[in-house]
Amino acid sequence: MGEAKRRVDEFRRTSSEVENHLIDELSAGKINRREFVRRGTVLGLSLPALSFIASACGGDDDGSATDATDTTGGGPQAGGTLRTALISPSGALDPLTVGDEGGLAVLGQSGEYLAWSDDQLMLQPRIAESWEPNEDGSVWTFAIRQGVTFHDGTPLTAEDVLATIEYHLGNESNALSALTGALSAGNTKLVDEFTVEFTLDAPNGNFPYLLSSDNYNVIILPKTYQGDWESTFIGTGPWKLDTYTPEVGVTYLKNPDYWDASRVPLADKSEVKFYEEEQARVLALQAGEVDVLSNFSVAGGESLLEDPSVTLIEIQASQHRVIHMRTDMEPFTDKRVRQAMALTLDRQALVDGLFEGRADLGNDSPFAPVFPSTDPSVPQREKDVEQAKQLLQDAGKGGGFSIKLESWQGFEIPDLAVLVQNAAEEIGVKVDLQLTDDGAYYGNFTYGGSRWLDSPFGITDWGHRGVPNVFLGSTLKSEGTYNAPHFKNPEFDQLVADYVAAFDLDSQRALAKQIQELLLEETPAIIPYFYYHLAATKSVAGVEPTGMGHFDLSQAGFVT
Amino acid sequence: MGRFILRRIALALVTLWLLSVIIFVACEVMPGDVARSILGPTAAPETVAALNEKLGTDRPVLVRYGDWMAGIAQGDLGESYAFRRAVDEMIGSALWNSAKLAFLAFLLVVPLGILGGVTAALYRGRSVDRLISVGGLSASAIPEFVWAVTLILVFGIWLDVLPVTAQAPPGSSVLTQVEYLILPALCLVLVLFGYLARMTRAGTAEALDSDYTRTAVLKGLPRRTVIRRHVLRNSLLPTIAVVATQTGYLLGGLVAIELIFNYPGIGRLLVRAADQKDFPLLQGAVLVIGIVYLVATLLADIAYAYLNPRIRYGRAVG
Repeated sequence: MGEAKRRVDEFRRTSSEVENHLIDELSAGKINRREFVRRGTVLGLSLPALSFIASACGGDDDGSATDATDTTGGGPQAGGTLRTALISPSGALDPLTVGDEGGLAVLGQSGEYLAWSDDQLMLQPRIAESWEPNEDGSVWTFAIRQGVTFHDGTPLTAEDVLATIEYHLGNESNALSALTGALSAGNTKLVDEFTVEFTLDAPNGNFPYLLSSDNYNVIILPKTYQGDWESTFIGTGPWKLDTYTPEVGVTYLKNPDYWDASRVPLADKSEVKFYEEEQARVLALQAGEVDVLSNFSVAGGESLLEDPSVTLIEIQASQHRVIHMRTDMEPFTDKRVRQAMALTLDRQALVDGLFEGRADLGNDSPFAPVFPSTDPSVPQREKDVEQAKQLLQDAGKGGGFSIKLESWQGFEIPDLAVLVQNAAEEIGVKVDLQLTDDGAYYGNFTYGGSRWLDSPFGITDWGHRGVPNVFLGSTLKSEGTYNAPHFKNPEFDQLVADYVAAFDLDSQRALAKQIQELLLEETPAIIPYFYYHLAATKSVAGVEPTGMGHFDLSQAGFVT
Repeated sequence: MGRFILRRIALALVTLWLLSVIIFVACEVMPGDVARSILGPTAAPETVAALNEKLGTDRPVLVRYGDWMAGIAQGDLGESYAFRRAVDEMIGSALWNSAKLAFLAFLLVVPLGILGGVTAALYRGRSVDRLISVGGLSASAIPEFVWAVTLILVFGIWLDVLPVTAQAPPGSSVLTQVEYLILPALCLVLVLFGYLARMTRAGTAEALDSDYTRTAVLKGLPRRTVIRRHVLRNSLLPTIAVVATQTGYLLGGLVAIELIFNYPGIGRLLVRAADQKDFPLLQGAVLVIGIVYLVATLLADIAYAYLNPRIRYGRAVG
């Protein structure tokens, strides 16, 4: 151990304060090995270094590293054609505007990001070899990998990376939903041929996530890119475009020159087929027309859950539903009324009934159990009808009231709405349901023109994010663009700003605890659960989906 | 006859113009925002506004309608908002796919329906008649998507003899394409057979009861000749009308079947365009389906007139 300790000490001398703090946290047992590695990758430490330190400094493995992939069949074989069912992209395949699961999954096959946010929410270096913040996290420097080439043979340099980021900052890009407020046009700098530097608008401890696959629009494009992705698919990834037939699918060939020899595809070919309907995707897997189903819901794919020929892949994710209550409108101006509503729900029953148990319990804050910064010690809100009735009584609404719950017909929302309705009845609150289509509910997405943002009581669906920043910033902060509960709380705003800037897990978690407690007390919204991302395969192993909807097929192959 | 066709064409043009106004107004009152539905819920408001401006959706209604009409006059249906591809190209390939499915369905159901209807009429009141009439009606009463799922489960998964999607891999031979299209075509046969058989049965029954048939029989003609020359020619008239009206349904109304079998036809395209507020695509598709309907009924009218001397000569006489 003496030699190992000496080497750790040596490593610590050359490490920054932030990095040393992380090592302290591990040694002190504040974080486990998995979280240490996850935080370390965000800070740009290399994986070999991290695992060395982790083993030298103890750090207990919580055993969660057990992989979902079944290796009993002797592992995936090389060769063959993998066939995957994917939901049809809902628009043009343009890195600038893609905003749907089908589109982002297609981009992620042949395109690559600076880093890959994997199924454990860890950042795996891809185009960026490593990255490093300055002392307060306001300037981030990325070292770009050398020896990477685009599919047309052009070598990739830091100029391409810079051009890509500037392209998004300077256009009407969907990536801006995450980058706005973090990085502005003009604050990017080319340091040398393989180094770029970003000066942020405000310190951000999780900035690398914003340039990872989590912000799925920012695949690295050649600097000569002309908006012609759909005809070229030119990226740097393990798969090269073979054919693309709009509305039907894409076929890829393996890229034998891929920069990472350990991730050159096992299969020779990959066919991604587009399916509009979930039912058609599920049937296609059952009938053996595809080998991989990249995503399905419990409600739509129940028959797969019990099928012995199907291998399920379950990934904990942060996708959830928000039941907002307008804090500036009757009957929800009194927080006791909001708390009472939240206390009527039996969350475990919801998770069991709607997802066959494949979801985490929500605690009325966006801090999903999957986020490492979430403080698990904050007590879970449980169903308590007596307390709820008492709270209503105290608020002067002991006789109950009537309220309209608005939402749209999609996912499991209609079922959830009925369950909320039944639960509210127990405390004398009469809920009327108004479920429209998504267009009518979301309207034009601005205050005054959207039932989502204007209704006193509504259910909204949110997709997966690798960090809770968007959920906190745009849906609950006073100035948030999508603050459906119209929640205005200066203390909360400050806590969120501090949280975003923090980059050691200790302080992030301390702030998270305060935010979680504040939201439990104020209850501007009910967040009943965070449901898992489900994928399924048949006779194929090694598929790596992510909660975001990407799937990595490079190490997938047929098993015998 | 020529005047009759001209009048029908003029009427068709007016109908199409009305259709264009209706669909345009319908798109106008649809809730939601175009750029927003393309960019998704998390896009920044400025990004949404910029895209709306780029697409031109922020211009006044009349300007947009005028633009659209001017484009149509030049044979240009515009560009899809979501896919940024030419609308006529997208509709063209979808319509071609739908036509393939419709053709196969007709190829199966028309002879079957006529045979069934005539048989039922000839054996009126007997068990064969009841089997065809009740069986056909029951099959039609079951919605097409129920048939679709049932057929997929039986032939695609349990027996595993037919593909569960209708889209053959690109570059497949005609025979392979037919193999992929059998299940959806079978659904349509089940749905249409009852209707077609019933219409044919009614037409045949009426012809069988008519004076001219009685005369032919009394005249001593063999039964076979009576049926072929006197009954069938008259009884097939309603069948043609049915086929014509179903053409419109097959080329635009097969939303459920196309979705379940994941077939890129015009019905699927239409739903998708409506879902995403892709107005150029939606309006173009509705207009094209309208044209198909009108052309099909026009052709049916002409065929009807040709086969039925009362209509063919009606104008000249009175």
